[in-house]
Amino acid sequence: MNEPHRQPVIKTEHLCRHFGEGETLVKALDDVTLNIERGEFSALIGPSGSGKSTLLNLIGGLDNPTSGSVELAGRRIDQMSGNELSDFRRDHIGFIFQSYNLIPVLTAAENIEYIMLLQGVPHAERRRRVSDILDRVGLAGLGERLPPALSGGQQQRVAVARAMVSEPDIILADEPTANLDSKSGISLLEVMRELNRDQGMTFVFSTHDQKIMERARRLIHLEDGRIVKDEQRV
Amino acid sequence: MLIIRLAYRNLFRNARRTLLTILLISLSLTAMMLTDAFIRGSIVLMTETVTKTFGGEAQIHRAGFLETFDSDLVLTGAARLVEDVRQIDTIAAAAPRIVSGGMVSSPYNVTSAQIVGIEADAERQVSRVSTLIVEGSYLSGSEGEILIGRELANQLEVTLGDRIVITVAEVHSGELAQALYRLSGVFEFGVAEMDEAMVFINLTDARRLLQLHDGAHQVVIQFSHPDLATDLDHPLYALGDDTMEVVNWLDSNPEIASMLSMTSYSSAIIGMILFLLASLGVINSMFMSIFERIYELGVMKAVGTRPFGVMSLVAWEAVLIAAASATAGVGLGLVLGYGFSIYGIPIGEFEVAGISMDRIYTVLDSSQFVDFPIYVIILTFLASLYPAHFASRIVPALAIKKTL
Repeated sequence: MNEPHRQPVIKTEHLCRHFGEGETLVKALDDVTLNIERGEFSALIGPSGSGKSTLLNLIGGLDNPTSGSVELAGRRIDQMSGNELSDFRRDHIGFIFQSYNLIPVLTAAENIEYIMLLQGVPHAERRRRVSDILDRVGLAGLGERLPPALSGGQQQRVAVARAMVSEPDIILADEPTANLDSKSGISLLEVMRELNRDQGMTFVFSTHDQKIMERARRLIHLEDGRIVKDEQRV
Repeated sequence: MLIIRLAYRNLFRNARRTLLTILLISLSLTAMMLTDAFIRGSIVLMTETVTKTFGGEAQIHRAGFLETFDSDLVLTGAARLVEDVRQIDTIAAAAPRIVSGGMVSSPYNVTSAQIVGIEADAERQVSRVSTLIVEGSYLSGSEGEILIGRELANQLEVTLGDRIVITVAEVHSGELAQALYRLSGVFEFGVAEMDEAMVFINLTDARRLLQLHDGAHQVVIQFSHPDLATDLDHPLYALGDDTMEVVNWLDSNPEIASMLSMTSYSSAIIGMILFLLASLGVINSMFMSIFERIYELGVMKAVGTRPFGVMSLVAWEAVLIAAASATAGVGLGLVLGYGFSIYGIPIGEFEVAGISMDRIYTVLDSSQFVDFPIYVIILTFLASLYPAHFASRIVPALAIKKTL
């Protein structure tokens, strides 16, 4: 097992995201300061509307904060725009979405290969990495299947493989088990836990799922856009 | 390559919509091709009707004759002039004519008409008068023959062999002169003005009647190739001077010339309308496609696809649709255009600027098969830029807000 590097990969300072104005102002995120260290397996938890998704969007560079800063791998992503931000997401962040979100006209292998194509990774290297990662997520031999020909659990494994194949600094996963049955969910979590242990890959979840909460080493409780509890677990 | 592969596969995600879009664009292209082929056909018909039926591709007159039709404006030494013209390379035929207004009377009726004196054999080379005889026979060159139109024959209540008297004013003296003719043939141009008010007699008879010894009012010319008529550098046009004008068929038929020019504009306008409609169809289709998979496009952007990559994807989809449409449209246009070029398009009894038309044969041209499809692809690409730009500006957080 690799020892995770204990250094912050995500730093947010006084992060705010407000929607609307005047009487309709909604403080989706209000003055959140947070550090997530490399190799963490953390979960953002809280009721609906607590700001989990907003925080994950801002950390992933998918949205811009109203105020405050977001630093990822030592760079201010809230100050990036356009192509710079696209390239940064491509090279440093892996996303896993609730509803798999594979490109339905590309095979499982092509979906995984997609980000490497954007990165300009040579063909032979792409094929090798795709083959390796399919093995690791338990999908060896299914690479040529189109997403509709895979089960929900298998599709989510492809999504995990796509997120990690470019070896990003962090993987952001939004309710990754929400659409899976219990057995598939546990199996998927074991894959991710293993990647975290073996490669020191950093995972941040947004979840309501008890199975994730049980496995997370850190639970960040959010309520009304604020962190109300930050719980380190053994 | 990935973007093109992705764009290609995306076309089959909603095959019905893709097919309908292809149908819309290809039918627009086919319609444009057929419109152009139809217009070309009508231009050819009009041109040939004007130049081959009677007017010739060029004419020589005394200056001012075309404006006034004054029979005093005579080309003297017409026989030599005709010979000189015939010596020019690329001149296929030339024939002299005498043209004068006069009265035509039968034992039962009298009316005014245009009297045209023609040289029977030479006239065969420059007009279709000899082929339009529906009763009796064409002029043989014998003295006293006359050809009149079907309508005029009815008006004068005459039949073949009946006597017809022509009264004219002599060219130089202005004295009235009369001559008796026997109806030798009845023609039918299908143009009311000609069938009601035109008679043909032999050139020698006309000269005698009008007291014109070797003169003529016009020399009608056919070139070896129709395009030479509009080439003002052709040696024929060098014959013109202050006293003698050489005009091509466009100059002598200004109403037809302006109509042809208008026809070109109308072709462009129809094309623009068709392509505008097709473009709106493309924009609509692309937007539907984008909104249908906005979530997916959001994910593509989230995982690092640059805005230009998303824009390229949508634009490539449009270009592939345009290429398929162009292929289908050209194929359909070729089949229909070829069919109509053989069997013609019936348009009923239709007369424009004195030209009678009942069926138009489409004329195919390489531009319809090369230029038009290229326009379609370019315009479809341009039409796709708006939805493509929209797609490139999708905010991932909004597109996938159901989860993240």
